[in-house]
Amino acid sequence: MAKPKIASDWMAGCSGCHMSLLDIDERILDIIELVDIRATPITDLKEPDAGGVDLGILEGGINNTANEEQAHRMRKRCKLLVALGDCAVFGGVPAMRNFFTLEESLRRAYVETESTDSEGKIPDDPELCVPTRVRAVHEVVPVDIFVPGCPPDADTIFYVLSELAQGRIPVLKNDKLQWH
Amino acid sequence: MVSITIDNKKIEVPEGTTVLRAAEMAGIHIPTLCDHPHLTPYGGCRLCLVEVEGARTLQPSCTLPVSNNMVVKTDTPKTKDARKFVLTMIFSERNHFCPYCQVSGGDCELQNAAYAEGMTHWPIQPNYVPFEVDASHPYFILENNRCILCRRCVRACGELIGNFTLGIEERGAKSYLIADLGTPLGESTCVSCGSCLQVCPTGALIDRWSAYQGKEKEVEHHKTICVGCSIGCGIDVLTRDNRLVRIEGDWDSPVNEGVICKVGRFLPMTEERMRVLTPMVRKNGALKAATWEEAMAVVEQKVKEASQQKNLAAVISTRLPVEAISLFKQIFADNLQAAPVTTFEQGETTAASLKLAGQLGTSYEGKLNAIHQADCIISFGADMLSNHQVAGFFVKRLLPKKVNLITINKSDDPFADFANCSLKPLKGSYLDVINGITAALLKLGYIIDPAKATKSSEELQKASLNTSIPTEQFLKTAHLIASSENPFVILGDSLNTNGNPDLLSALYHFCHSINAVTDSKKNLIGLKGSANNLTASLLGLDQKLTLQQNTVTYLAIGDEEVSEQRIKTLEKSSFMIVQASYHSKLTANADVVLPTENWLECKGTYINLDGTIQTAQASLVPPDEVKSNQAILEMIASALNIPINSEWKSVIIERPSPVLLNSD
Repeated sequence: MAKPKIASDWMAGCSGCHMSLLDIDERILDIIELVDIRATPITDLKEPDAGGVDLGILEGGINNTANEEQAHRMRKRCKLLVALGDCAVFGGVPAMRNFFTLEESLRRAYVETESTDSEGKIPDDPELCVPTRVRAVHEVVPVDIFVPGCPPDADTIFYVLSELAQGRIPVLKNDKLQWH
Repeated sequence: MVSITIDNKKIEVPEGTTVLRAAEMAGIHIPTLCDHPHLTPYGGCRLCLVEVEGARTLQPSCTLPVSNNMVVKTDTPKTKDARKFVLTMIFSERNHFCPYCQVSGGDCELQNAAYAEGMTHWPIQPNYVPFEVDASHPYFILENNRCILCRRCVRACGELIGNFTLGIEERGAKSYLIADLGTPLGESTCVSCGSCLQVCPTGALIDRWSAYQGKEKEVEHHKTICVGCSIGCGIDVLTRDNRLVRIEGDWDSPVNEGVICKVGRFLPMTEERMRVLTPMVRKNGALKAATWEEAMAVVEQKVKEASQQKNLAAVISTRLPVEAISLFKQIFADNLQAAPVTTFEQGETTAASLKLAGQLGTSYEGKLNAIHQADCIISFGADMLSNHQVAGFFVKRLLPKKVNLITINKSDDPFADFANCSLKPLKGSYLDVINGITAALLKLGYIIDPAKATKSSEELQKASLNTSIPTEQFLKTAHLIASSENPFVILGDSLNTNGNPDLLSALYHFCHSINAVTDSKKNLIGLKGSANNLTASLLGLDQKLTLQQNTVTYLAIGDEEVSEQRIKTLEKSSFMIVQASYHSKLTANADVVLPTENWLECKGTYINLDGTIQTAQASLVPPDEVKSNQAILEMIASALNIPINSEWKSVIIERPSPVLLNSD
């Protein structure tokens, strides 16, 4: 039997969940024994194989049209989708901007910040993606496995990956279930 | 007793027990959020839904009383689904993002409940409707965005404190917690007892000191007592790495049953005085750090000299434990013949109450918690808003139960606004008030005494004239008292008895005449003063503090903040030895300063206002050079070859006391 293929991507997050994934240290070698890591934001190949992967992992919430595209692409190309970390699961820190209007947040970010000079301008190049409300991944595409945590502990990530690599669905409980 | 079967476990419980409590008795855990064992059931969160055989829908176990042969199931797919749904709805309403909340990671009952149900995500995302944060209060912050509307705080504020400051504004999902009619908390009627913080299940009420300072799993708990006043409330001191994190009321303490006031909860957190860290001796006009040996040598010489020349005076704080006060008395009063040997408090009213107990040949005051059964409170010269606040909470929580309150105070009584009758007599006319009420009781025929009845109108007029209280007020008061079955009398610490028991004696006989004190009950309590006020009086340390010229004074201040008035008196000292925890005007003027423990570091015994003997445990370890009050006094005794006895009980028990002494 061929090794299951894994691809990951990050969206509106801090990349901390991928850092936590690297924190599994040498155990990543055990994972590689079991799976074929294809595309990740921290390796050369950035997009999941067009031919599909077995497991897709998404970090971060969805806060613009580009993220929407990433989420849809991953969902289309993977069999099981994992939402990794509080931003992907709940919306997380980026979702705090949902308590304000989009206009307020953009104005704050590009015009009103103390470090912005008087020429502050909200970017409006038509090439750019369009910002939206911040959403958890499951608000945009169906998610199969939720791994909350800010970030999820390396042990939790290792557990999730090794279970999935061996064809089991991980169940998070006790010290592995942390929203932080 | 009724019989109930919960999860196939059959138990017998008293009638009226709720299903939730019955389950607890059977050792079955039902998750809850709005329930709190010290508050009346509310049935607001629906987390405790259970299946009851024969009932059409799931039932909230916290408000459902058991009925005979009831069959309950707590852990079925239906109840589990319901719990998850309830939590889903709660999470969807506010900002419950955990990573930046100080209670996340074990201290949040909401998060714990979600973990217990194995929730990995929120099936319904939040609606992102923001609420305002109220940070106007000096001691805590109200973060409505984290509130789950369980109303524990609202109930604690009303039921336990009787303050009714907190309430809910708006309806449904728009509901939010407010103070008064929407006043910022800092400007509201809040008395800063902090009970709302202690019962909040989430991070909606955050105190300014302990947030992020240590979670439950990181702190140590020290069950001890507060030495803020003579009530001696049980407290739970939370520390981490020998640092004070938070103080909470001890729900298990029979004295206060979990309730504490600002003095116990917040004031210790705001302590900003500088600590005395080494002994100090004045050399060439300036206070210089010294070794214990140097400092004690000066103390030994000065005290010995002053004792021989009969110009030694000694004053101790009533915040210190019995052990220290007893040693202090043995050394300075019994052996060195210092005069006066007293406390900063003087304790005139308590001194008078001891004399009265001596005259009566028995104790005559009762227990504070008898107040919970009272149907009429008569408060004489008390300010339960500033001092003895917990007694004030006990009074105020009775008011919604239609208990009458009568305040009698020569000053403005802070409880006058809630009183059914508030008498403000002229200064020095408390005795006339008692005569006036008695005359009114006679006139209205509530007390039958034909000999005195004829004179009652005349007496009433006279009392009215002397007190400037209209006769109608006396008659109204008499009517309120006479129509109650279980009146309770509180004597404040501002009765101004000048050590003379006459007023107390009159009050005592008055209590008899209105059936507050009978052969079977003693509904009378004097609030006394500081923590060990009664102890000091029992040891005879309650004289007036006056100093002759050229007096050498030994002051065991501990951590007390001595009043300006006393400081002024003490400035007359020619030589001052101060045993203190913190720098103050007194230490600045002192000739020798000896560093000592503060209340959180000191272990010792306290006798509270109703004679309950309690032990304070040390919650913190003092700095290196700091010694306990007892240890310093023992050093002095040994340097001066004074025999001391650490046994104090036998001395105290022999003295007449207004209250019966007993350890719990």
